[in-house]
Amino acid sequence: MSRIEQAGLSQDDQAAKAEGAAGASAGASASVGQENAAGAVPVRVAVIGYGTAGVNALIALRRAGYAGDVHVFSDAATLPYSPILTSYYAGGEKAYEECFPWSADELACLGAEVHLGCPVTALDVAAHLIRTPQGDFSYEKCLIASGAHPSTAGFPATEGYEPLVLRTLDDACRLKRVLEDDACRRVLVSGASMVALKSLEACLRHGVTCTLVGMNPHVLDFNALPAAAERFERGLVAKGIELRLGQTIKSVEVAAADATAAAPSGKLAVTFSTGETDCFDEIIVAHGVRSNLGFLPQGALEVDRALLVDEFMRTSDPDVYAAGDVAQALELVSGERRVVGIWKSAALQGACAGAAMAAELAGSAPQAADAYPGSIPTNTIAVSGTLFISAGSVEMGEGRRAEILEDGDMTVVYVYEDAGDGGERLVGFNVTCDEDVAGSRAYDTGAMLTLRIEAACRRQSI
Amino acid sequence: MGLLERSDAYWKFLGQCTQCGHCVDACSSLTSANMTLGEIARALLAHERAAGSREDLAARILGDGALMQAVRGCFFCTSCKNTCFAHNDVCDLIYNARVDFQSLGLIERGAWSSVMVDQEWDIFTAYRAIHGIGFADLVRHAESEGHAAETDCAVAFFPGCSLAAYGPDLTREIFATMEELGGKTTLIDHCCGSPLKSAGFFERAEALCDRIADEVALSGAREIVCVCPGCANAMRSTLGRRGLDVAVTLLPAFLTAHGFTGKRALPEGTLCLSKSCQDRDGRYLEETCRALGVEADASTACGACGATGATPGTLGAADGAPGAITIFNGCCGAGGAVSAFDPNRQASQADSKLSFAPDGSTVVTMCPTCTYTYAFRLMSEPRDVANKHYTELLFENQLDWDTVFAQLGGMWSGEYGPWLAQVFA
Repeated sequence: MSRIEQAGLSQDDQAAKAEGAAGASAGASASVGQENAAGAVPVRVAVIGYGTAGVNALIALRRAGYAGDVHVFSDAATLPYSPILTSYYAGGEKAYEECFPWSADELACLGAEVHLGCPVTALDVAAHLIRTPQGDFSYEKCLIASGAHPSTAGFPATEGYEPLVLRTLDDACRLKRVLEDDACRRVLVSGASMVALKSLEACLRHGVTCTLVGMNPHVLDFNALPAAAERFERGLVAKGIELRLGQTIKSVEVAAADATAAAPSGKLAVTFSTGETDCFDEIIVAHGVRSNLGFLPQGALEVDRALLVDEFMRTSDPDVYAAGDVAQALELVSGERRVVGIWKSAALQGACAGAAMAAELAGSAPQAADAYPGSIPTNTIAVSGTLFISAGSVEMGEGRRAEILEDGDMTVVYVYEDAGDGGERLVGFNVTCDEDVAGSRAYDTGAMLTLRIEAACRRQSI
Repeated sequence: MGLLERSDAYWKFLGQCTQCGHCVDACSSLTSANMTLGEIARALLAHERAAGSREDLAARILGDGALMQAVRGCFFCTSCKNTCFAHNDVCDLIYNARVDFQSLGLIERGAWSSVMVDQEWDIFTAYRAIHGIGFADLVRHAESEGHAAETDCAVAFFPGCSLAAYGPDLTREIFATMEELGGKTTLIDHCCGSPLKSAGFFERAEALCDRIADEVALSGAREIVCVCPGCANAMRSTLGRRGLDVAVTLLPAFLTAHGFTGKRALPEGTLCLSKSCQDRDGRYLEETCRALGVEADASTACGACGATGATPGTLGAADGAPGAITIFNGCCGAGGAVSAFDPNRQASQADSKLSFAPDGSTVVTMCPTCTYTYAFRLMSEPRDVANKHYTELLFENQLDWDTVFAQLGGMWSGEYGPWLAQVFA
């Protein structure tokens, strides 16, 4: 048995003792400790959210030897899943059970009291109180790792139709059901971000004809410079995908019973900003995400685009931490605090928060070695065999220049920035490759250039 | 502590793995094992949970052929890491697993007894002793019969174990050139500890690097110049951990910085640059190209790793034409002591790399152990391909592999054979 499991078991032992003392059954809200005077169940550590950041926080707490109680509150009814794999599931590449990176046995080793299907309705920072449908809980330390939800902002309100989105496993289930229905032959994807393209890939795997509409002149939004995006677009077009770039959806109507041949009954008649119209069976909207912070009263914590955190993921309240999509932490290229909504950042931030909470609960200061090292945005996506990899920042501006290297099957765009010492540093890159082969030079190039950006950032910050 | 020494590391890795499975497609060993990197961590932890004792745990792991394959079949080439969306650190995972394997007695003694490079005798020191190869006169920071210990050296030269053993004349020529260019030089006559790490003796490897760092500090040198990217990485990590203000430079960069131009003309025909897997960000390869006077960018290297069949990148001229430069990535087959576990896989890996070199071309390696590995394969399966370490293209002296292999083979059957058999039993 590992140290983590020993710590987890200690928690179980404590829980069993507490249950015995309270004479309580295994009811979620009464399993540890007794209600305090205000009617709240006291817990030492509360984790809001049961995703990558939350799980990694649990692991870090146990790795650090923390053996006390931890309560996890999740609005989902399932074990933590990988958002990266939801599009694979929707596309039929992965089975449902393969979307869960951690087994129930493994999660049980972490010894947390998990409240599934129990959304936090309010967080009272001043009172150290969490409100849920299962009752109130008072905490010593709280980690907010509640993730993000998809935004449909910009999609015109359509009576009688709710567009598809792709974020949660439930979203993926709905998308999969739709795509498996023979009646769904044409899908419009609105947005040109990574999620939009992942949705596109899922559709293609079901043999569905796809159109992509995006307001920017190129796909991949802010992640790609034109040379890299154009190669990617050529790959999409070669696979029969219709691109409507530089356009938006102006309106959508569900065709009525007296529909015409051009817009048969039940179809979605879409008018684009160009004035053109077309019909689709379904629309997937991928217009970005918003942090899940609805339970937090305005002004309770310092917020910019998300919760501002320090190097130990502490928010403006020293007993409240944040990690993942709700945290605005150090981003290395800019040197500023930014939301970097990727899996690795969530994992590292969760681990950092867990270690820091464990240290502080033990009466020590967090160790410098456990501080969040910062991240750089990285993205990898393949659609129908065309691969795109990016890292860092490819925003062009003063003091920056791009260099393009193209050969038979690959385009590499490097973005350099004046380093201020007469030299320059690599701050971002795009790699687009006409084929997606694991272990290929495209992946090796991506890894090499990512290392160079990190190294340049760290040199810059010294 | 639990039954596994490094279970914390496995939990950490498990937390960071999405289980997407991309790593499997990037590596022939993981494909064979049909395991993702996260599943390696998962399997180790599951065996630990199920086991009642360390003996039981060892038996369970030994009986898990896929896990044994995945852990012992790793070259540390990082092809899987490069393909991983999260760039999860495979080296950290596998080094830790090897530590546990070693501690559980799962790595047979024969796999490492001759490469305990922190002991008096290993295969390199034995070879050198038997064939009269020594550098005591160049190790200026240590007292020897020829001189007292000196502390005013400007540069420390770290040739690494393979070059020092198999190319003593080349080593001396490089040393002399360095001294001419960079001032008073001393030689660090050790191995960087890589074989120890591969065998699961991680702490011993670190201790050896610490000894080297102490010697560098003693010499007064402010710069250590390494021939091999792996040695350079080991020293950079150690000196950083120790907080010592000593620059680590790969030999080509040192030579270029001092205006050195090669003493030989480049060979005709295609140059096939074999990028070292320790050259994680490709900088060493670019520095080597600069020293050789050829233009190349590491991002044009192919991904000729693992299970893939990608074609190499080509620069300079049409593929195979005179003057063309072909770059290929991936392990030569020597990494991670895989040969001790699966010699056929080492051979097939070397063959797969050499297959990228057209007839009449010259394979140029960055790590002398890669040169050795390719030379060994070309001895077994001769081809019209020259095999050179980059130093051989810059300096007069050459590596004579026919002699080296004859001497290596002869060691075991000659008068020292019984002694070697006893020492490395």
